[in-house]
Amino acid sequence: MESNWLWLIPGLPFMGSVICGALHFLTLRARERNPEAKGPAALAGPIAAGLVGLAFVLTTVAFSAIRGEDRTLLQSAPWNWIPVDGHTVAGVAMVVDRLSAAMGLVVTGVGFLIHVYATGYMHGDRGYAKFFAYLNLFVAMMLVLILSSSIVGTFVGWEGVGLCSYLLIGFWYDKQDGWPAEAGQKAFIMNRIGDASFLLGMFLLFKNFGAFDYASINAAAEATHAAGASTGQLALAAALLFGGACGKSAQLPLFTWLPDAMAGPTPVSALIHAATMVTSGIYLIIRLNPLYALAPQVMYGVAVVGALTAFIAGSSALVQRDLKGVLAYSTVSQLGYMFLALGSGAWVAALFHVITHAFFKALLFLGAGSVIHGMHEEQDMHKMGGLRRYMPRTFITFLAGAGALSGLPLLSGFFSKDEILGHTFALGGTWYLLWLVGVGTAALTAYYTWRMVALTFFGPERFDAKALHPHESPAVMTLPLVVLALLAVAGGLLGLPHIFHVPHLLHHWLEPVTHAGDAIRFGEHAPHLAAGTEWMLLGFGALIALYFADRGFHAHKSGLAADEAFQARGGALARTLNNAWGIDRFYTRGVVATVKLAAVFIAVVIDQLGIDGAVNALGRGARRTGESLRRFADGSIAGYGLWMGAGAAVLVLVLTWMGV
Amino acid sequence: MANLLFYLMATLATVCAIGVVVARSPVVSVVSLLGSFASLAIIYLLAGYQFLAAVQILVYGGAVMVLFLFTIMLLNLGDPAVIHGESEPLFHHSRRTLLGLGVAAAVGAAGLIAILRVAWSAMPQPAELPEGGLDPLDQLAASMFTHYSLAFEAASVLLLATAVGVLVLAKRNRRPTAEVFPRESQQPATPSSPPTSTPSAGAQGQEVAEEGVLS
Amino acid sequence: MSVPTEYLLGLAAILFGIGIAGFLTRRNLIVVLMSIELMLNAANLSLVAGARMHSTQRLLDGAGPDLQGPVLAIFVIAVAAVEAAVGLALIIALYRRKQTVSLESVSELRD
Repeated sequence: MESNWLWLIPGLPFMGSVICGALHFLTLRARERNPEAKGPAALAGPIAAGLVGLAFVLTTVAFSAIRGEDRTLLQSAPWNWIPVDGHTVAGVAMVVDRLSAAMGLVVTGVGFLIHVYATGYMHGDRGYAKFFAYLNLFVAMMLVLILSSSIVGTFVGWEGVGLCSYLLIGFWYDKQDGWPAEAGQKAFIMNRIGDASFLLGMFLLFKNFGAFDYASINAAAEATHAAGASTGQLALAAALLFGGACGKSAQLPLFTWLPDAMAGPTPVSALIHAATMVTSGIYLIIRLNPLYALAPQVMYGVAVVGALTAFIAGSSALVQRDLKGVLAYSTVSQLGYMFLALGSGAWVAALFHVITHAFFKALLFLGAGSVIHGMHEEQDMHKMGGLRRYMPRTFITFLAGAGALSGLPLLSGFFSKDEILGHTFALGGTWYLLWLVGVGTAALTAYYTWRMVALTFFGPERFDAKALHPHESPAVMTLPLVVLALLAVAGGLLGLPHIFHVPHLLHHWLEPVTHAGDAIRFGEHAPHLAAGTEWMLLGFGALIALYFADRGFHAHKSGLAADEAFQARGGALARTLNNAWGIDRFYTRGVVATVKLAAVFIAVVIDQLGIDGAVNALGRGARRTGESLRRFADGSIAGYGLWMGAGAAVLVLVLTWMGV
Repeated sequence: MANLLFYLMATLATVCAIGVVVARSPVVSVVSLLGSFASLAIIYLLAGYQFLAAVQILVYGGAVMVLFLFTIMLLNLGDPAVIHGESEPLFHHSRRTLLGLGVAAAVGAAGLIAILRVAWSAMPQPAELPEGGLDPLDQLAASMFTHYSLAFEAASVLLLATAVGVLVLAKRNRRPTAEVFPRESQQPATPSSPPTSTPSAGAQGQEVAEEGVLS
Repeated sequence: MSVPTEYLLGLAAILFGIGIAGFLTRRNLIVVLMSIELMLNAANLSLVAGARMHSTQRLLDGAGPDLQGPVLAIFVIAVAAVEAAVGLALIIALYRRKQTVSLESVSELRD
């Protein structure tokens, strides 16, 4: 049965985008007459939030329709996008299955909350309606990415969210320092590298399987496994698609754009660069899990990249002074965890962490936005301190988010992170190393999270309270914080470990999507931890989180002494961490400088000497020829007649000779 | 007999044509030209083209010749040596004249060579003329007003345009231009400015030309 | 007249050459104009020669004489008359400006 109303799920936000865009133009028209005119921009916020809310309701309806065992999938009629000889080569349908329903709920639900928050946060901005037009377009594109039945549709959404990311990072492109504009370009270009890889992988898949839609690709992957055929090209395709995921989900070596993406408005950072867009790489790999399961070596690479990214970004978050900078590196680090999970074959754990991370990281970003809003656009934590007295609601909710992020026991992040580490541990062998890196990163996470809390909300006030007047944000901003805080605390219920003797809800839910990948990867006997080992790992994780959270909090709660001491003593280490291990600098020196050198070479040698030289030579040649021919045009009629007559004589002779 | 007359007329036409080119006085040139036209008219007649011969005499011998004579008389351009008391050279300076003669000879020779290259024996030879010649007036008129009507109309438009154009060219500006075009008269040496200002314009042009040479 | 066609054409070529010589060597504009008339006449003569030849063939075939030649010649005469009228008007206008009809005096095109 076809459910064409599924097109409405991305359609509604898209409609909202068009409406908000129109409102923006109407506002601009009104401003032409009167620069201070308000215009109809104020309508944009409620309309945008309302339409995303409606999309959330629709997604919930779809979600409840596939709850039962008998039916796990809703599908709309396909749109025959690229017909070749009447065949559908790239048909795009909207599909809600167990995976896309879960992702769709996160995108529309968290998206709705962030929209509500943004109506307060962006209040009074001159681009208010434009902001919501972009934000709604983003939600629409994200839903296209998730709900598409084929990888081509996903690619359309993939590029669409990239575009929206670029537009929204550079939303304040006219800022004095030019950071937003450059950060937007950086994000766009880094993503382009990944997207090229995505395209190549997509083509390679089509070459092997002759299809773009996920169902056929996954079925063909299973058939390949059953036949025991060669998987060389498929492994290459999987690696290339992972390259695309590296760009979008900010993994090594393409992660440098995400910390800079913090130049955008904070709701954008929360929605795009923490909760949804950056997880689309993880979504893609879960979607194609049979394909990845065919190539264990690629999966190992995914895990290594994820673990390294998690560690490098987590260590860089230790020393950031910018509140959003800490969160940005933290996001990269958590994304690394998710890839570590994928590499270990723990698809469910990866999605679990995607969901909990969406809750608590959106919460933290929104809380940070609330702080920045209350501090009048101050982002430097060294100029904050003691804010818990001024913004109690933000403080409480922020604590919940920080607890979840650092993995304090029984909060959502605790369970999702432990599930990932447990899976990695269970694989044994060299995976113990990756497990160690993961545990180290967990320690780093707990430390920097509570350092951030301490610097922001505790200790002496490092600002002039009389001049600055820090204030709590309005209810429209704190209400989403409360909802997200509840989710961040309770999100762990989705996936309690089986040693608790309660069903793992998410594992059960995703069974139809992941069983193929599991069967290919592990066969009949999936690695399994004994209950005792699992209790031990759980307790160890709790201890690590609690110990390092305590250290991080107490070292920084009394002021900047610890930071300053580290900067003074740390030397090279401090510099390395500040610059995220110098990867950005390597790009600037190694890649950008080389390209610039090549550009100068082309501009001077090829263009100025070669092309300009040739053109100038032509011009000079024509001029010289003209000068020398000039004396034939002496202005005398007899002179012209002379040449005419001579020409006539020659013409007659030539024609005669040719026998005309 | 007719052939003899042709050779005679051919010689006369050639001699008269040379006379046009070498005569000192324009009046002599005009008279020579008339002789050349008349000889050609007779050749047309001999070839069987009666109407064409008549038109040749009427248009050339009548209208065009009178125009030439009229102009010469109007501008008082008789023998320059007699009128101005000085002997202006008839031809261009010697190098150009020699070159011109060379080119003329080349064109004539090219034409003759082209003629000689044709196998004339294979072509239809002249035969007895039919009654009414080769351009019977009724057929000529019929084809001109039917088959060639477009060309005919174009020719009449051309004649009309010529009449207007000649009128404009030859009309003497009686009123000073300044009264008619007050604004344009402020700019020196425009093409429509009064004759009094032209010598300076010519001098200016010369200066510019000399500068051009120097540079 | 049984003079062969090539003689008529030869006469036309000679007259054309003389016309060119006058056109290229004389300084007097009126004579130059006359030389042009000479060349046009030479062209007409060649048209007549060709028409006569074609008519001969057509008469042998039992058709009427060829009329293209004489018609074209008549148009040429008309155009020649026009050309003479315009040329002489130009000479008069030139004489009014420069008090001369010498070709050397008109070389403004050089600039």
